Amino acid sequence: MSAAPGHTLEPRWLKPVLITIALLFLAVFILLPLVTIFSQALSVNLQDYLAAALGYEGATPELPPLFASLGEGTSVYRAALSDAEVRAAIRLTLLTALICVPLNTFFGVLLAWAVARFEFRGKNFLVSLIELPFAISPVIAGLIFILIFGASGWLNMIPFGTQADGSTLTLYQWMDARNLKVVFAVPGIVLATLFVTFPFVARELIPLMQEMGKDDEEAALTLGASGWQLFFRVTLPNIKWGLLYGVILTNARAIGEFGAVAVVSGNVRGETTTMPLYIEILYGEYQFATAFAVASLLTLIALVTLVVKAVIEYLLQKQRTG
Amino acid sequence: MGIEISQVSKRFGDFLALDGIDLNIPNGELTALLGPSGSGKTTLLRIIAGLDTPDTGSIRFFGEDATRKRARDRKVGFVFQHYALFKHMTIFENVAFGLRVRPRALRPEKATIREKVEKLLDMVQLRGMARRFPSELSGGQKQRVALARALAVEPKVLLLDEPFGALDARVRQELRRWLRYLHDEIHITSVFVTHDQEEALEVADRIVILNKGKIEQSGTPEDVYDNPANPFVYGFLGNVNLFHARKELTPNGGEIFIRPHDISLSARDDSGKGIPVRVTTHRILGNRVRVELETREGENIEANIERKDWNALQDADLSALYCQILQGKIHAPDNTWSNYVI
Repeated sequence: MSAAPGHTLEPRWLKPVLITIALLFLAVFILLPLVTIFSQALSVNLQDYLAAALGYEGATPELPPLFASLGEGTSVYRAALSDAEVRAAIRLTLLTALICVPLNTFFGVLLAWAVARFEFRGKNFLVSLIELPFAISPVIAGLIFILIFGASGWLNMIPFGTQADGSTLTLYQWMDARNLKVVFAVPGIVLATLFVTFPFVARELIPLMQEMGKDDEEAALTLGASGWQLFFRVTLPNIKWGLLYGVILTNARAIGEFGAVAVVSGNVRGETTTMPLYIEILYGEYQFATAFAVASLLTLIALVTLVVKAVIEYLLQKQRTG
Repeated sequence: MGIEISQVSKRFGDFLALDGIDLNIPNGELTALLGPSGSGKTTLLRIIAGLDTPDTGSIRFFGEDATRKRARDRKVGFVFQHYALFKHMTIFENVAFGLRVRPRALRPEKATIREKVEKLLDMVQLRGMARRFPSELSGGQKQRVALARALAVEPKVLLLDEPFGALDARVRQELRRWLRYLHDEIHITSVFVTHDQEEALEVADRIVILNKGKIEQSGTPEDVYDNPANPFVYGFLGNVNLFHARKELTPNGGEIFIRPHDISLSARDDSGKGIPVRVTTHRILGNRVRVELETREGENIEANIERKDWNALQDADLSALYCQILQGKIHAPDNTWSNYVI
């Protein structure tokens, strides 16, 4: 019989109550905002579209939010996507992700390998250092780069030759003269994103590689495998799902990062605005239709990421138990 | 000479794992490195394999210096306690791994690899398992695959790190007999690490006993068992009763070592040399019986007698028996041994 046995610790009512609370919380704070973004994006766009199509000025016909989920709404997306600044923002976001994801994957694997396979002084310190980008506020992460590369930063204190009038030329001035900008330019955005997304791969891999142990790799070594063969034939197949999971989280954060990027961006429209930054600008300018269109696009990426992540989690689970 | 180890030391932080080891491992023999945990036996094995580097000293393989050689170039087969099979590969792929990772010029043809792997799987009695994955095999089967995998690269030396340690008692016994049989067939120079003296005595041609990073003794199983070099070896190779020798036996003091099965029990003291004892407890272990005895002086003695001898005492008074010491050894403070004569 499946009647609650007397020896379990929890009272019988606890389970449904906890589940209900969790589901309610999820619905109110996560599901509702998510639905709103899409319905807003689609209905606002549709309203604008209808208004334009029917020649209305001012008042537009009120539509039930979810009515607009198909068909007509997409044309306004197309309109938003054809906007040069929107496209620049999408391009910059993708470029940032394209640079940050491979770099952090590479260094994450490197770091995880070092921590999981070798004993060295200061290892615990290094492991805590990996978590630093998670621990500090993204705004501060951005400020760090301003302090290093900005006009009043360290770079402006490093002498790099002499100017025509005999005074010292700083590295910053030298770079500035050649139009090499770090902050308030694309390199700053990439650096800040690199910083905030660094921990994902390493943090995912370290416990996985520690759990895996050295035995498999040592076995491969004694069988004559070279370093590359060892990594690609033995290590990688063991960590692949964990690695992919880390990569996806890195990608999600690289695309969505706001705080750190906002500080170093300088918000030059069409040049240094990523998608999240551009959404904020549009919103500030009351361009709700475009703002929600871009926002829903960003959310869509997040949702796809979530699905891929869930699939990988499932596969990871299967690999661990199998 | 097979493997020559000279003056090898290894330190891990404050812990001296190996302290100037000198050892020759003869060609074609099966040598056991025996010792308690922390004795350095696994470290020594890993240094032979090239998986660890010695702080000082050198290793020679068949006359050739191998100290600086990398593990992958040493041509050793290594078998791990927890098998270390590649979980994502089939049994066939596991065994073929060492052949597949060879440089293109040295890599055998596909058909040759197949033939070789099948032959090895036959040898370890796992012919039908080629397409299975390691997770589908039992512990004993996994260890046999690991052995086949190690042998596939035709190593000059086979190294086994507690190869039966993770198996249950029955499989362990079966597999170690099988290993002995296999070694008699292929005569590859082999070294295996164990903490189980019974295993070492049963399987090995030679036993090297390690303690605290030093070699206590090495020799044939009979040799180390019958003529232990020191009290540690005596104690490690089997249970032992230890008594302080009386002044009449050794003027400078010393200790008497008597193995539990070198003690017999009787109801009457026919020889006149028996020691009066009483049985405090006993335990029947199949065909043998472990009996704990107490002398009149209050000393405890452990005896291990045959079941039929125990049965013969059925009607005797267990609180008034005599124990006879069949043989024993006296260890004097100057580290010399003499036979204990009653």
